[in-house]
Amino acid sequence: MSDLDAYRAKAAAWLQSMAPTYGRDARKGLSEADDLALGRRYQKAKFDAGYAGINWAVEYGGQGLGHLEKVTFDAEEMKHGFPSFYFGISLGMPVPVLMQFGSDKEFVKERVLKALQGEEIWCQLFSEPSGGSDLAGLRTKAEPDGNGWKINGQKVWTSWAHYSDYGVIVVRTDPTVAKHKGLTYFWVDMKAPGVTVRPIKLAGGDSHVNEVFFDDVKITDDHRMSPVGGGFAVAIATLMIERYVATDSAGFGPHLDLFVELAKEVRLGGRPAIEDGRIRQQIARNHAMRAGLDSINVRARLMMQAGMMPGPEGSLNKLVAVRSRQKLSELALDLQGGDAFLFDEHASQKEDWASSWINAPTGRIAGGSDETLLNTIAEKVLGLPQDHRPDKGIPFNQIPA
Amino acid sequence: MTILYDEGQQAIATESRRVLEARVDKDALLPLLESVGEYHRPFWDTAKEQGWTALALPEADGGLGLGLIELGLIAHQAGRSISGAPFLTSGFGAAKAIELFGSDAQKARWLPGLASGETIGAIAFAAGPDALPARPDVTFTGDRLDGTVRGVSAGLAADIAIVFANGPGMPVLALVDLAGVQRSAVPSFDNSRLIADLHFSGVPAEPLAVGSAARDAALHILALQAVVTAHEQTGGAEALMEIARDYALTRKAFGQPIGAFQSVKHRIAELYGLVELARANCIHAAAREGAGDFVIAAAAARLSATEAYDTAARDCIQIHGGIGVTWEIGLHLHMRRARSLAIEQGSSLFWEDILVDQLAGEAA
Repeated sequence: MSDLDAYRAKAAAWLQSMAPTYGRDARKGLSEADDLALGRRYQKAKFDAGYAGINWAVEYGGQGLGHLEKVTFDAEEMKHGFPSFYFGISLGMPVPVLMQFGSDKEFVKERVLKALQGEEIWCQLFSEPSGGSDLAGLRTKAEPDGNGWKINGQKVWTSWAHYSDYGVIVVRTDPTVAKHKGLTYFWVDMKAPGVTVRPIKLAGGDSHVNEVFFDDVKITDDHRMSPVGGGFAVAIATLMIERYVATDSAGFGPHLDLFVELAKEVRLGGRPAIEDGRIRQQIARNHAMRAGLDSINVRARLMMQAGMMPGPEGSLNKLVAVRSRQKLSELALDLQGGDAFLFDEHASQKEDWASSWINAPTGRIAGGSDETLLNTIAEKVLGLPQDHRPDKGIPFNQIPA
Repeated sequence: MTILYDEGQQAIATESRRVLEARVDKDALLPLLESVGEYHRPFWDTAKEQGWTALALPEADGGLGLGLIELGLIAHQAGRSISGAPFLTSGFGAAKAIELFGSDAQKARWLPGLASGETIGAIAFAAGPDALPARPDVTFTGDRLDGTVRGVSAGLAADIAIVFANGPGMPVLALVDLAGVQRSAVPSFDNSRLIADLHFSGVPAEPLAVGSAARDAALHILALQAVVTAHEQTGGAEALMEIARDYALTRKAFGQPIGAFQSVKHRIAELYGLVELARANCIHAAAREGAGDFVIAAAAARLSATEAYDTAARDCIQIHGGIGVTWEIGLHLHMRRARSLAIEQGSSLFWEDILVDQLAGEAA
């Protein structure tokens, strides 16, 4: 057994032992507040057992292991439905970027330890009403104010902002230069005067994203995490931190086995639906697609193990998996006919076809829309030209609105 | 579990690509489309000279003792260059049938020739769209074959064939020497596949497997060939994706490269996705030879590779506009080959059924 197999086995056993207390069944029927409280206890348990900050430096409370161990743990963890998503963004991007770019080391260490133990949550304030994919076009501004700065503007789609203690934010500090050159990166206290968080109810019924308003929010200059005007580079670094994340060829929807089970149970035209050619074709096509993604992911892991950089094909995961999950979920509802109408908005999208279906559009937009991902593949992998960009090189305040 | 190619395997890929790119070009392949019974002899000579025919056969039988992974790498390159003959895959299928299910005498008689490439093998299982028919058209009684198998790739040139036949109340997998067997050429959209109808009339044949074992054996041979063909299809799709990309970078319209238009660049990015999924499934399937889930892996490779090659052929021509549909540019060589490879070894309709039977836990 390789070291990694041994690590996986140990992690799997620990996760199994935690499942009765924190897993799927333990969470059934909990209010969001109670679920979050459970999640904080689970995060603390992970920290105590040595499964928090797996690939982070030991001096910050991490375990000092590699990406491989982290991805291995995450893949095992995903199986049990733990309440870990409240911390996914926090520990995924803002806190690692704080470790990398925060100036006051003692402050940073204190924050990281609290975040790792689930006591504090961080959010990432990037997208704005005027644009999500076009990050550098943001409009929230910070103006010099005494020795510090004063922030005014609005962010949107901020996950878990309503539970967050802190956030990292990119703002415009100079509107007279080209759009990506006038940005600066800060951290902010989400409880500071002038910060207003307003949850947005999404189509599926849940409200984990927010609008966040900044009205004359004053911060000192030690909140700054980039050179003035150098915020775009840190923003890109933030987005690059989580390059090796656990992926799911089911597109974060139900496993194909559940579809096969459904097709065996349901009758169509007097016969089991599993005998219907249309259903069979979809099962076969979806299996082939998911098997391809699984092999891409295993190969990426083997490459990391061998000390190589995984290939760019890993960027296909979300694009391919989520949109096909969307269609398969529609077909699963078709298969259930009138029985499909019964809807539980708290059902898990990993297990329930209706929940998977109604939340699928979010998956195709959040974290890089399908179109943005296709552009990235075309430009970065295949070397095709960038889109026509009329705002390129023009000072931000002269770009036609 | 998938694999990373080791150094030796990477060398096979590099060397076969170099040789094929030097010796095969579309100007040699285009005339073959217009004559029945011709194939690209330099391709086949290269295959023999380089030992590709022997690659995946046991050393005891005159082979090199390597396996599907290595043969897949060759097939991938052959697909990139549009292989000039179907014998690499058909001969491999025939040789594996004899190696796995034949007697010592049959092995001694046929395997050395198949390994050197001097003997050409063919697989004759299908009846219409059914790659493994419940009741084959050909009958096997008293060690003799009667009836016709239609549309057999390599059939015009093959020295021997493995036939899936209808025996007395049960299927039979039979080995037949084609010397003297009547064959009629099928003029095809892809003539270098040497498609023929094989007409058997009391032709002596030797059984390799009988009853349900015959069906299992035939499915295993098809699965082995499907993995080789999937590599070939993936190579073809990869080549087309690169051709489309290169053309989109150079061709200009409305003052910019057409690759700057999202309708074009996204189409090519989608091709990249299809090629990489097919490649991943191919590598995985080749590494699963001999494992319990081999047929599932082979089916997944086959389905994704067929989709990749067909789609790449459609889209690459579309991106070229008018020049893409000319005879001279030769993109139709890939379009034709994408279809012939999609049908050989069972179409997607066949492999979808095989895959779902396996996934649903039903009898195959």
